[in-house]
Amino acid sequence: MGALDGLMQGFQVAFSLQGILFVLIGVVTGTLIGMMPGLGPISAIAIMIPVTYGMNPSSALVMMAGVYYGAVFGGSTSSILLNAPGISGTVATSFDGYPMAQRGEAGKALAIAAISSFVGGTVSVVLLMLFAPALAQVAVSFGPPQYFALMFLGLTAISSLSEGSTVKALISATVGFMVATIGIDAQTGTNRFTFNNPNLMEGVDFLVIALGLFALAEVCFLVKNRKDQSLSKQGDIGNLRLSKQDFKEMKGPMTRQSFLGFVLGVLPGAGATIASFIGYITEKRIAKKPEEFGKGSIKGVAAPETANNAATSGAFVPLLSLGIPGSGTTAVMLGAFLVLDIQPGPLLVTDRPEVFWGIIASMYIGNVFLLILNLPLIPYIAKILKISRPMLISLVIIFSLIGVYSISFSTFDLYLLLLFGLLGYLMRLFSFPAAPFILAFILGGMMEQAFRQALTASGGSLMVLIEDPVSIALLSISVLSFIVPIIRNRVRQRADHEGTEQ
Amino acid sequence: MKKLWMLAALLLLVLTAACGGGEQSSSGDGESSEDGNWQPDKNIEIVAPSGAGGGWDTTARSVGKIMEDEEIVEQSVGVVNKPGGGGAVGWSYINSTNDPHNIFVSSPPLIFVPLNGQSDLTYEDFTPLSNMIADYGAFAVAKDAKWDNLNELFEDMKEDPSSVTVVGASSPGSMDHMQFVKIAKAAGVDIKGIKYVSAQDGGALTQVLNGSADVYSTGVAETIEQVRADKIKVLGVTSEERLDGEVLSQFPTAKEQGIDATFVNWRGFFGPKDMDESAVTYYEEKFKAVSETEEFANIRDQYGWDEMYMDSEEYQKFLKEQTDELGTLLEELGLGQ
Repeated sequence: MGALDGLMQGFQVAFSLQGILFVLIGVVTGTLIGMMPGLGPISAIAIMIPVTYGMNPSSALVMMAGVYYGAVFGGSTSSILLNAPGISGTVATSFDGYPMAQRGEAGKALAIAAISSFVGGTVSVVLLMLFAPALAQVAVSFGPPQYFALMFLGLTAISSLSEGSTVKALISATVGFMVATIGIDAQTGTNRFTFNNPNLMEGVDFLVIALGLFALAEVCFLVKNRKDQSLSKQGDIGNLRLSKQDFKEMKGPMTRQSFLGFVLGVLPGAGATIASFIGYITEKRIAKKPEEFGKGSIKGVAAPETANNAATSGAFVPLLSLGIPGSGTTAVMLGAFLVLDIQPGPLLVTDRPEVFWGIIASMYIGNVFLLILNLPLIPYIAKILKISRPMLISLVIIFSLIGVYSISFSTFDLYLLLLFGLLGYLMRLFSFPAAPFILAFILGGMMEQAFRQALTASGGSLMVLIEDPVSIALLSISVLSFIVPIIRNRVRQRADHEGTEQ
Repeated sequence: MKKLWMLAALLLLVLTAACGGGEQSSSGDGESSEDGNWQPDKNIEIVAPSGAGGGWDTTARSVGKIMEDEEIVEQSVGVVNKPGGGGAVGWSYINSTNDPHNIFVSSPPLIFVPLNGQSDLTYEDFTPLSNMIADYGAFAVAKDAKWDNLNELFEDMKEDPSSVTVVGASSPGSMDHMQFVKIAKAAGVDIKGIKYVSAQDGGALTQVLNGSADVYSTGVAETIEQVRADKIKVLGVTSEERLDGEVLSQFPTAKEQGIDATFVNWRGFFGPKDMDESAVTYYEEKFKAVSETEEFANIRDQYGWDEMYMDSEEYQKFLKEQTDELGTLLEELGLGQ
């Protein structure tokens, strides 16, 4: 009964005039900031914290939550249009979104992203509302061995992200691993590959890699191929109306990834990034035509976009019901709570039900606002592509530089950005895929930490990794996902062989 | 190879220092009036050598705000975040700009980071201005853990130190690790056998809640909400006496359990090396004034901090003691460099 009363109270907060107004302010600011290449939810929340000083806590937090999921919602824009992902959660969106835009279907890609974000966001809010207090147990159920298994599963995506040469994909991933080890090692405090340079001690920021390998490499490529006429289609926005067939294709990924994304979002540390990658690869694995992925597949846009928005709501479970921030973004969000003298934790739901349920209830309205706002805006946003090529290229460079500088305020990171831009260009030139690099960089660091935490606790025994049903299940799925395609290929080859022989 | 790098870095440092020096002569070092009192002639900049939202940032921002609101200083006070290297990036910034208008906030990592070989700059490369507050560590275990006080825990650890896993947010050789090591050593545990795991992004608390680790070493403020919700129990805190506050006052100190050791997470302000004596006096006066305001008292209560004002001279002596003491501990662990 308590939960229902609380929920009613929450809806009262969310549906009051003030509530609606602040949700609107929040999501508008969030999407706008999220759309900028290089700026993501962290910057959006940090920018908005001073605005909340002296505000009523429930209105302020409803707004901040809006900023957060609004920024994730808008984050796909720069991935799709410019191949410049501003947050790690939208890297996977660029795999198919950008090819679609290049094909002259930018409008359609943005519409798919908006609709699947809406579905992912809304379904997960229902789940959040029904299960938030109960899911608190799930959130802490993962210890280091389970995280290791989960990251391992994510890494099997490397094989499915490689087009053409698997060896090149593995080389790319290995370099990604190596870059992930730069900085002070958390388990021993030793400097690794920092050359005594304090700027490298915190490691290389994700944004430097993403904007370097994707956005700047793309810019170099556009400059090199500036005379190529086949690229002129890129200025086309295309029809943004989706056909029945399109919806039919989106339906599967949207349903599955709303749930999967939410569950992964609930786990602290996993969050939107891993949800979007795992969403992308599961859809690719079960798709009838996996070869379409990476070339502008509708499912390839819908899956990660549904998953990352669902995961964003999921991330509120550990934050609200345990007071545990699962990511850098939710840590800043936790700061926003503390500024308002609200302590998220197990007692929040009883101490301040209007805040707890108000945030959840406001997400319904927020997601509707986002859809209404974004769909009509798509033709205007996509017009970015109509800007003349030299101008567009300069803008991407400027935004990438601003995005990186705003994270660390250090010029050193700008040189690093250029370095990774050059690396990305060379990789494309020699057709090394960049996706395995960034996947290994994101997952590899977390996987290493989980592995070593598990081994420290177990006193060095590897058995700890396979002692628990969850980790066994995850590791088995990983192994199967390696073996099954190989066997399938063998069988197919043999069949082909026999076919030709006869 | 290492030498070459050092040389290059040194050259760069000299170059930037030279540039900084050039700038300074045009902007001025601040005014010294006839009686030798230093006054700032431009805005004061407080560097928080971390990202927004952490302890350093909170301290810098609240002190800066009070300085302006209560008109303790005439100039405006800005807070700048210089994250990186556990503070090292911010420190080298202060060291290279070498301007008495630029000061920074710091805490025990200023001792740990250089001792662990992660920064060439130590507290001796800066001028301690004033210490403001003291915060303390807490050791918590899951609600259903078999230990009810520190002595029971340490009895088990004396038999086999590796039977217990300690988790914290900082890296080994830094705060969460060393505050535990210091208390455990005083209790007679073989500190070389302690298993310490570092987990970021809220992972430390998670690991204690799900049983992956046994003891959560953290700041006292982080435990309050979880204790109220009856998820964890605090076996001991590192302060000299019991702390104030509804929940905090229930936490027993290590001292009252017969373990003669404390650990202070001090926080204060530093300026560049070789600051003019009158500038040091200026800041001492201002920080003392901030420390005595009602506003700052409220902030201390809100975060559970204790008042611990030290002037420049006391602070210097305190830091020397801390460095010697912690350096010995780190050497014993084989971590010091």
